[in-house]
Amino acid sequence: MSHDITSRRSLLVESLLFARSYMVRWRTQPLLPLQSLLLPTLLLVIYHLLVGESLVRITGRDNLAGLVPMCAMAGGMFGALGAGWAIPAERRTGMLSRLWTFPVHRSSPLLGRLISEGVRAVLSTALITAVGIALGLRFAGNWLSVVLYMLVPVAVVVTFAIVVITLALAVGPDGNAMFTWLGTAAVGLAFGSSGAAPMEMLPSWLRPLVQYQPMSPAIETMRALAEGRSAWWPALMTTGWVLVFAAIFIPLAIRNYRTAAETGA
Amino acid sequence: MTALVALTERVVISTTRDRDILFAVLAPVVTYVGFTLVLQNVINTGDMSYAQYVLPAVVVQAMLLGAMTTAERAAKDQRAEFGVRLRTLPIPTVLPLAARMLYCLLRGVLALLAAIATAYVFGFRMQGGLGYGLAFVVVALTLTLALSLAADAVGSLGWQLDSASQLLLVPQLLLVLLSTGMAPAEAFPDWIEPFVRHQPVSVVTETLRGFAGGHADPGNVAATMAWCVGMLLVFGAIAVRLQRRTR
Repeated sequence: MSHDITSRRSLLVESLLFARSYMVRWRTQPLLPLQSLLLPTLLLVIYHLLVGESLVRITGRDNLAGLVPMCAMAGGMFGALGAGWAIPAERRTGMLSRLWTFPVHRSSPLLGRLISEGVRAVLSTALITAVGIALGLRFAGNWLSVVLYMLVPVAVVVTFAIVVITLALAVGPDGNAMFTWLGTAAVGLAFGSSGAAPMEMLPSWLRPLVQYQPMSPAIETMRALAEGRSAWWPALMTTGWVLVFAAIFIPLAIRNYRTAAETGA
Repeated sequence: MTALVALTERVVISTTRDRDILFAVLAPVVTYVGFTLVLQNVINTGDMSYAQYVLPAVVVQAMLLGAMTTAERAAKDQRAEFGVRLRTLPIPTVLPLAARMLYCLLRGVLALLAAIATAYVFGFRMQGGLGYGLAFVVVALTLTLALSLAADAVGSLGWQLDSASQLLLVPQLLLVLLSTGMAPAEAFPDWIEPFVRHQPVSVVTETLRGFAGGHADPGNVAATMAWCVGMLLVFGAIAVRLQRRTR
């Protein structure tokens, strides 16, 4: 029993160590955090400049409450793609195989990677929300809702990171095309959500599709939290999506990691 | 001439393998459908439907996106021994560049066809007849060629773009989204209107929209031609010059 506890504690310590090593890497390769911070922040400002006045003219309010969450999550997803970019190279150079032989829990490099994704998601959400507040976003909820607000993108981004890692572990040395497709899918999911335009401005046949795609419930959860309304229903749906993706991709990620580490390039 | 055909064929085959050519067709379709569905009820374009209004912006966006992939191919051709091998062949030094550019034109034609075909479904119409239609195509392809030459020069310099290519989206987003290709200048906040009105994407999309509608404003067309031909000459000269570099 006591063995079990120390073992679990060491898993946490090891995962945090790996997470730290990934985060140290951002300092030497500042392009990655820049991508996940600069790009979505700019997208927020630019898109707000494009549609803000038109939306106020038509509906009386801008859509910042939806746009800010959309950009926060898009940023986290770009970041996950950028981080995943290194995986085929790590496999090629034998880094993954070396980690596999380390006397650590075999899941700790993967967990560490996911922790670092979560930390980056919190940071980029904080920055993008700050910019959103400068543009005119207002919070009506209490402090608890602000904390929950920050946690929604973490859940979404970490889930997306699991998908990225799974696929990046499966592609050969040249994953360009795969990353292009995943990037397109991420942009499509982000832009085709309730963050890009209020639901009632979309063609009616499209609404169900937009409403139930994985990003929209997360955005609606954050909108409700920011406006101080009850967020139960969208939060439940977000959790559902996260669980579905996790159930499919976590086993796949573990399997692909094993294959990649054991066979190398 | 056969060398050019062979080299072009090589580029085309490699892009069917990395699916760049598929992407060339899909990107404008997806962006057009996305912009139209999301923004048609948001942006007020007066009498013109948004489907008619936004197509030139999608075309320019597709050309910008497509040009970016050229850099990687140019870098691959220079890298390793393949570049050396090419230079030992009894062919003009610029031939590999010419082959890549022929591919870019092909890519541009495909993107244009895909964009216009999709737009027709949403109600876009070429209202100006054959002459204006041809002018539309010529401007779009000149732009593609100019941008592709610029990207090719960047790739030939040996700059690694892979992880930076996402950052290259920044100027592209700025130029396309903050242009009159997306919304009339009045829809933007006053302080940014001067930039929106005069930046190159606005100028070019205005010309293309005019051609699609069957009219042309001489001043605007002249500005577009100045941008396109100017970039073509400057970047063309740089790209051709870089082909002679030996390492």
